[in-house]
Amino acid sequence: MAFIEVTDISRRFVMGDTVVKALDGVDLQVERGEFLCLMGPSGSGKSTLLNLLGGLDTPTSGLIRVGGDNIAELDENGLADYRRKRVGFIFQSFNLLPTMTALQNVEYPMIFAGLPPAERQQRAAQLLTAVGLGDRLDHKPTELSGGQQQRVAVARSLVNQPDILLGDEPTGNLDTKTGEEILTMLTSLNQGGQTIILVTHDPRVTKHASRTVHMLDGHIVGEE
Amino acid sequence: MRFTDLMQLVISNLRRMVGRVVFTALGVVIGTGAIVILISLGAGLQSSLTSSLESFGAINQITVFSGGGGPQGGSDQALDARAIREFQSIPGVEAVTPRVSIGGTYQLNRLQGGATTYGIAPLAADDLGLAVERGTNRLSRGTIVVGPKVAEQFFDPRRPQTEIEPPDLFGQTLLLQLSRFDPETGAQEDRTVRLRVGGVLEETGGETDFNVYMALDDVEELTAWQQNGVSPRWEQEGYPTLIVITQLDPAIVQSVEGQIADQGYFAFSIGSSLQGLNTFFLIVQAALGGIGAIALLVAAIGIGNTMVMSVMERTREIGLMKAVGAHNRDVLTVFVVEAGIIGVLGGIVGVIAGWLLSLIINVVALAYISAQTAAQGGADPGIDRIAYTPLWLVFFAIGFAFLIGLIAGIFPALRAVQLDPVRALKYE
Ligand SMILES: Nc1ncnc2c1ncn2[C@@H]1O[C@H](COP(=O)(O)OP(=O)(O)OP(=O)(O)O)[C@@H](O)[C@H]1O
Ligand SMILES: [Mg+2]
Repeated sequence: MAFIEVTDISRRFVMGDTVVKALDGVDLQVERGEFLCLMGPSGSGKSTLLNLLGGLDTPTSGLIRVGGDNIAELDENGLADYRRKRVGFIFQSFNLLPTMTALQNVEYPMIFAGLPPAERQQRAAQLLTAVGLGDRLDHKPTELSGGQQQRVAVARSLVNQPDILLGDEPTGNLDTKTGEEILTMLTSLNQGGQTIILVTHDPRVTKHASRTVHMLDGHIVGEE
Repeated sequence: MRFTDLMQLVISNLRRMVGRVVFTALGVVIGTGAIVILISLGAGLQSSLTSSLESFGAINQITVFSGGGGPQGGSDQALDARAIREFQSIPGVEAVTPRVSIGGTYQLNRLQGGATTYGIAPLAADDLGLAVERGTNRLSRGTIVVGPKVAEQFFDPRRPQTEIEPPDLFGQTLLLQLSRFDPETGAQEDRTVRLRVGGVLEETGGETDFNVYMALDDVEELTAWQQNGVSPRWEQEGYPTLIVITQLDPAIVQSVEGQIADQGYFAFSIGSSLQGLNTFFLIVQAALGGIGAIALLVAAIGIGNTMVMSVMERTREIGLMKAVGAHNRDVLTVFVVEAGIIGVLGGIVGVIAGWLLSLIINVVALAYISAQTAAQGGADPGIDRIAYTPLWLVFFAIGFAFLIGLIAGIFPALRAVQLDPVRALKYE
């Protein structure tokens, strides 16, 4: 059995009289240590699938097994624990807290994990140094470039040592060169064993991936 | 989530919206300030009225008058020797003594003075709490014990407007001037009684300071003379007034007073009047506090409103909190505590403002009162404060403001908890 087993999941949104089938009977297996790309046109259901994998949303039907546990049947607290312990997110718009420094932003998830401040700071500084921001610990997001902000976000996503790193178009707001830097960083993480799943529009991203899955209208239509 | 982290998070969140927090807390300041000032006014009036009432006499003394109505009524209600024995047998009663007043003015050399003269049992002075500063409070025939302010009542009748140095009465012989009228001719006949001052009482601040005490037998004899030789026969026919002294416990005073009244006598005590006054002021304070509470309720709506806006503006942050694994409990706590802290801040400032205002009221009102009494030539009314802030009120008001804030924060915090993380992260 694969590390991630998605079996016949559907996600429907009811909007007034109409029902939108964002996902319709999707099956997917991901092994540990894979770097998977989800490609497809706008509205094909990529983000919806990623959110389900990250435990931010629950499917209308179907099974999502991660390391043997079905996360589709977790309650809110169970999902919160799943997100905290097993998943790291990177977003297209970085989602850093503007009033906090880089160090504090990376510390943030560990506050909810209840870690003591000294341990948090040490770990956050380590990760920021690893992404090349060792000299920017006390900078606020507005004092950092887009690429630097996304690197802070990558450091933050790694803070609880997640099993899976999820990114929804993490290079979408970056120019080609900075985007390439972020992707190189993710590739080296993957080489260290980190499982990564990225959503993208950009064919260049797929070069870094070990596998690419194509989606259309809520279905998986092929892979390479 | 650790408590220190929670507080740091809450404080940094509040600092981000400091302007709005100040305006929202202002409502709480007004509400708490109103509660503090209004209850302080109630408490201050109560304590001044209580102390001026207490100066009328000891709170463990019940004054019993004859001729009260009551269920039995009639002539067997005489305050005679039998009544004294009856009262003495009531549990909680320490002593019973008659008290009979007699009119007349005193003379010392060329000076004249007025005082109410009471006849009491020769050994009753201790029971009545009449301690002496000089001499003795035992009353033998032909002696009197005077209150410390009696000397101040003396004046020179030839120059009544001139202030004089109060004479030292201790050891002096005063002349009591009495008069009677012939029942047939109406002719006035005067009598002068020589009385030696055997003791001067300690100052109590009450009415006893102005009284003169005399042996009951002397008063009975003088009263017989005043009534043209007819003895009042108080022991058989009843004294006009008895003083019942009880143990020093308001509940006992009240119960003894009740039992005496039930027997058909008219009984009065400062103690039970104080109890009535206390009940009255409890109601006054509750009513005044209620007005402040309504102001706080309005402030609570303000806090709720601010927090609803804050939740909306911080939708993405809430989404992020959830994405990084915060439990609903954490989200709820952060927002409820934020609202509670707004309440506490307003409460603290409100208590300080209310307290300062009550100090100002004291200064202004007391200046006004003493100016008024001075203009009317009255004595110092003895009121030292109009508003008084008890310590419990400080803690109560701040705690109440905190609670109001917490409650006001619950609804906005629940909205934050219910946000869907996917949508919250996309919120613009
Ligand atoms: N909360 C929602 N309510 C209603 N419809 C939704 C909701 N979320 C997604 N959808 C619909 O589900 C479908 C899939 O959306 P999804 O966001 O997964 O697309 P996507 O592949 O990520 O597109 P894009 O590349 O533009 O981000 C779309 O038709 C979208 O309109
Ligand atoms: Mg998308």
